[in-house]
Amino acid sequence: MSDCSYCKSKILTDEASCPLCGQPFTEQDLMREGRKNPYPKISLRYDRQKVFKNLMLLTIGISGLFLLIEVLWLHQLHGLQLATFGLLSLWTVVYIIISKRRNIAKSVTYLFVIFSLITIYLDYVTGWEGWSMTYAIPIISIFSILAMYLAVKIVHLEVGDYVMYLIISSILGLMPALFLVFKWVKDPALILISIGFSLLMFLVVLFFHGGDILHEWKKRMQI
Amino acid sequence: MERKGWVRLDHASNIFLAARNSRDTKVFRLTAELEDEVDPVLLQRALDKTYAQYLLYHSVLRRGFFWYYLEMSDLKPQVAPELLPPCAPIYHFDHKELLFRVIYRADRIHFEIFHVLADGTGALWFFEDLIKEYIFLRYPESFCDMKKQEREWKDQQTADSFSHYFRPQRAQNFTESAYSAFRSVISTSKKAGKLALRLGKKTSNYVFTDHLPTEKKRKVYQVKGKKTPDNRMRVVEMSLPTKQVLALAREQKTSVMIYLIALFFESIRKASPDFQETGTVSVSVPVNLRQFYPSNSARNFFLTTRLEYTYGKEMDNVTNICQKLSEQLQYQLRPELVDEKMNKQLAFEYNFPGRLIFRPLKDMILKFVNLWNNQNLTIAISNMGRVDMPEAIGGRIQQLVLLTSAVRPQFCMISSGEKMTICFTSPFIDTTIQKEFARQLTKQGVVLEVAANQVTAAELEE
Ligand SMILES: [Zn+2]
Repeated sequence: MSDCSYCKSKILTDEASCPLCGQPFTEQDLMREGRKNPYPKISLRYDRQKVFKNLMLLTIGISGLFLLIEVLWLHQLHGLQLATFGLLSLWTVVYIIISKRRNIAKSVTYLFVIFSLITIYLDYVTGWEGWSMTYAIPIISIFSILAMYLAVKIVHLEVGDYVMYLIISSILGLMPALFLVFKWVKDPALILISIGFSLLMFLVVLFFHGGDILHEWKKRMQI
Repeated sequence: MERKGWVRLDHASNIFLAARNSRDTKVFRLTAELEDEVDPVLLQRALDKTYAQYLLYHSVLRRGFFWYYLEMSDLKPQVAPELLPPCAPIYHFDHKELLFRVIYRADRIHFEIFHVLADGTGALWFFEDLIKEYIFLRYPESFCDMKKQEREWKDQQTADSFSHYFRPQRAQNFTESAYSAFRSVISTSKKAGKLALRLGKKTSNYVFTDHLPTEKKRKVYQVKGKKTPDNRMRVVEMSLPTKQVLALAREQKTSVMIYLIALFFESIRKASPDFQETGTVSVSVPVNLRQFYPSNSARNFFLTTRLEYTYGKEMDNVTNICQKLSEQLQYQLRPELVDEKMNKQLAFEYNFPGRLIFRPLKDMILKFVNLWNNQNLTIAISNMGRVDMPEAIGGRIQQLVLLTSAVRPQFCMISSGEKMTICFTSPFIDTTIQKEFARQLTKQGVVLEVAANQVTAAELEE
């Protein structure tokens, strides 16, 4: 405890100056016995300005790297198109993982959607051969449903917390059926497998957790 | 499987969720400073016992399509050493966690709670019982002949204080204790029952007009400054003898709260170089509704009043400011006006026009309402008043502190025994306003003890 002769107050601090006015304590005021500062020093969790600066630097660095790859390996320059796309995907995935880290089921659902969109876009810019719909999306769909099921089993989530997402992703898994309806794909094998898988999951969840779903639904849709 | 109890979140609490962000966490903290180092084992035991009696605190917050709701959980609270800045976020999206925490450091016990769960008065009930229980375990010697005394104290409590009579002494069921205070008051109070009858009329006007009829709207001064690097708040705690500040307020023929608000206004004026000579300063002051409509609910049950003062119209001194503020407060707390506001709030709880709006959209609308309201405020204060405890317990408490997360400079006042604590919180690094406030008090001979937390890298390095 010290005295600030400017603020005429007793200051509970070990520092050499007054936290109110910033004036240094004089010799006779300093470090008298008495109460200590009740507020502990807690280190900064982050520094907004620093975080922002680092993200900017990283973004610029990665863009440069993309341009270099385009020139050296692809021998063609798409300009910043691919770089922008790559960065957007990168930050989106980072954002999803960080912001949804407390809800695995939701995180998987979001990643499933974003990866599907990424592959469709890549397919589109590389000549629209349809590989995204024929192979990539059905595979992503199968594995995200599997991943979600494993994840919720591993971390022992409560049923009520994830059934809704299991249902949602099963329904999303059925979406590739549309590709077949519109005859967008030539080789339907993988799509059929993924649809079968989603359907199976949908029925399993409905059969074992139908009551929970109804309960959750009532709670969430309360007017 | 046993399904858990749940209650839809009331409108009064919804606004806290919508307005919450990483800077303004809508968490507030009650602190008790004791004589000796806190014993975590005994504190945990005290917490377990208190927790078992207050089912509301078993709540976790969940999200529905149209609404948030509180759900009973089986989580068990753990006391923890103080490792986070004051009022660090409690509710995280997608995470099932209790909406309060009990932490300790040296001789202090802190109780931090998310405002969605309860208001200051509600939280104080839990906190008081926790501290009582802890002191009972920690200093059993002073309770040897207490049994009889304590019983007498409890009897006395029931006899002379209505709010204490209503206070839940033992566990209610979860849904009862989590139910909106606004709704439950209707069943417990005859006066409020009359209000409910008038509920047929719909009210669409959410933003209350609470000015004296003659006053025109003016642009309100907003404090600006550099914000802290990691969103923590700047805390400046001042403790002083209640007697001294009471005498100063009496000199001005006003209440301690109004007097301190006037000093706060003056500090803003003195500390801000860009303050215009004819600037308007305004403050938001929550008023506990339980004094008008007795209720035993710990849920949010208060009404916000807004007071303002415009400089440059007459003699700008503390006396004058106090007088103006008192008039406005009295006007806003006239029974008929309180009834009217209560009515509006009830109408809102019952016939909310946006009931079928998708929840995230509703959040966004409330966010805008909140931003709009913020524009009309310079500062905020919160007054918990005097907390009385029996000697065997109160004698062990050095002081109580109340502080809350803030988007604008704010102070919370609470007193116990001989000591009052005024705790400033602010999103800004700068402490000039607090300095001006302290100097106004010490100039008049008040003995002030000041403590502040560290918020910048430089301060933390020293
Ligand atoms: Zn000073």
